[in-house]
Amino acid sequence: MIANLIVGGLAAGCLYAMVGIAIVIVLNITDIANFAQGEMAMLTTFFAYWLMDSLGLPWWQAVSIAIVFGLLQGIVVQQVVIRPLIGGPVLSAIIATLGLNVVLNSVAGMIWGHQTYTFPSPFAFSAPFMVDGVPIAVDSVVNIAVGLVIIVCMTLFLRFTWIGLGLRAASQNQTVARLMGVSITRTSAIAWGIGGMVGAIAGVLVAPSLFLDTNLMGALLIKAFAGGVLGGLNSLIGVFLGCLALGVAENLAGAYVSPSFADATTFIVIIAVLAIRPEGIFGRVRVRKA
Amino acid sequence: MSTAADILRVPRSRISPGWGSALVGLCLLLAAVAPFGLNGYALYLLTLTEIFTLVGLGLNFLTGYAGQISLCHAAFFGVGAYATAILTQKAGVPYLLSLFAGALFTTAIGAIVAVPALRLKNIYLAIATLGFGVVLQKIIFEWRSLTGGGGGLALNAPNIAGYDLGATGLYYLTFVLMTLGLFGAWNVSRGRTGRALLVIKDSEIAAGSLGIHAPRYKVIAFAISAFYAAIAGGLFAYLVRYINPESFSVGLSISFLSMVVIGGVGTIGGSIVGAAFYVIVPELLRGFKDAPGLVFGLLLVVVMVFMPQGLWGMVRRLAGRS
Repeated sequence: MIANLIVGGLAAGCLYAMVGIAIVIVLNITDIANFAQGEMAMLTTFFAYWLMDSLGLPWWQAVSIAIVFGLLQGIVVQQVVIRPLIGGPVLSAIIATLGLNVVLNSVAGMIWGHQTYTFPSPFAFSAPFMVDGVPIAVDSVVNIAVGLVIIVCMTLFLRFTWIGLGLRAASQNQTVARLMGVSITRTSAIAWGIGGMVGAIAGVLVAPSLFLDTNLMGALLIKAFAGGVLGGLNSLIGVFLGCLALGVAENLAGAYVSPSFADATTFIVIIAVLAIRPEGIFGRVRVRKA
Repeated sequence: MSTAADILRVPRSRISPGWGSALVGLCLLLAAVAPFGLNGYALYLLTLTEIFTLVGLGLNFLTGYAGQISLCHAAFFGVGAYATAILTQKAGVPYLLSLFAGALFTTAIGAIVAVPALRLKNIYLAIATLGFGVVLQKIIFEWRSLTGGGGGLALNAPNIAGYDLGATGLYYLTFVLMTLGLFGAWNVSRGRTGRALLVIKDSEIAAGSLGIHAPRYKVIAFAISAFYAAIAGGLFAYLVRYINPESFSVGLSISFLSMVVIGGVGTIGGSIVGAAFYVIVPELLRGFKDAPGLVFGLLLVVVMVFMPQGLWGMVRRLAGRS
């Protein structure tokens, strides 16, 4: 029972973590909390659905194309909406992403309507794995595996490639990064592209279990923010572990404390953690000389 | 609706102080006679604008002056609404008294929320306050014996000293409270507290070295802000006559915040313009068949891209130039 709950929590946590990573990459480079991330992923998922449903593409092809679409979408959004806002008040940029959130939601609503669709998954009907007598659903395993692959790839990418190095430099100090020859507009476009791509993967994975509709990602977005803050926003590993912890805590609170207070219990835990460690569990405290 | 357009004209008052007070007076006068020229629905929208203006004033105090983000204002709004409604409906307290009692209760909650918020900044603060919002909303939802839970509460017409307040009566009550709220916000923001908060927003270390006790002022800012939201909530409950916990969700908190930013952070006029934008623009967009959301969202983006200081900041700049 408890093992089941934990595995379920980890699987949900990995989905939060994907959205969380998408948000944090953008946040660290541009200081903008992207409220449109959820709807961007939702639109990409609908695009994948359209590819399968209308063009009859197989799952793998549709999903691969959709992930590329997510990447391009992120870059376009950055170029059109965010680029003019660089240098202005951060809060204005955040509200602009909120507006974009509304726009994307109603665009999807106009194209596909507000009914729910069943998003196919190649893993839906596979028999669950049995580990030590505990049945584990295949899509949980897939979520966890994909989550792990993404976090490992992102860490390697940020640590060992020139582009990743540029991203890290830009997130630490933009002026110095620019002096070292890192183009801030290009890095920021790359960050948004990565965000769109990772978000797209999360959308495709979450859609089969939640049914596809225009409000697919709303709850996930808030959870991703919360998990990221819990772990500490300035390290990817922190965000990942924070989101996993959030997923597990939510499942356990739902089962053992009270199902209707699961959300509230989780947030109480988050507030308590933040009261003790204001930068999140794994966050580094930045000493600010003002 | 003519009144909202007139509110937008206020900033020309920046040209000279004499004209300024004349224009403010004119706006107040227009707002005072508005019920005679408007139909029921337009009056409802105008009342709603004034209620949101109150929330905006409070939130602007916290975000614009103290630089603190809050995503639990919908919950303060909701607690104010429920406290007023329950005191009036179930305990039989006179409406005005329960409005203020409810607001004081919410103020206390605001001060409590501020305590863990003292250590947090930016998005960490946003998530912590969002958490408080979720918890408060959940408490309202689950405390069925008192609040009616998900079924909500239906309310009778409010009653002041034996007279039932109709739509016009409630409009005037809201108008008076909003005017008081504007006056209060104007005073507080220019006084000791407002100036202290402005310093805290720029640099807490500088504030500390000037002898400003930052935590104390932050708690005050949260408390005042919650008070405004709760008064607005108490009015809102009796404007719509039916409240339900779903109305006070995180989405509403986010709308409040964008209202303030669209209007112009840290300005009193911005609260009015932002509230008017949020209430009236969606109404004007009803004509667009499927797309009110699309156009509204685009407007949000466009306003932010071209006027990062908000509508009021833009108007102010134009007025300053002419």
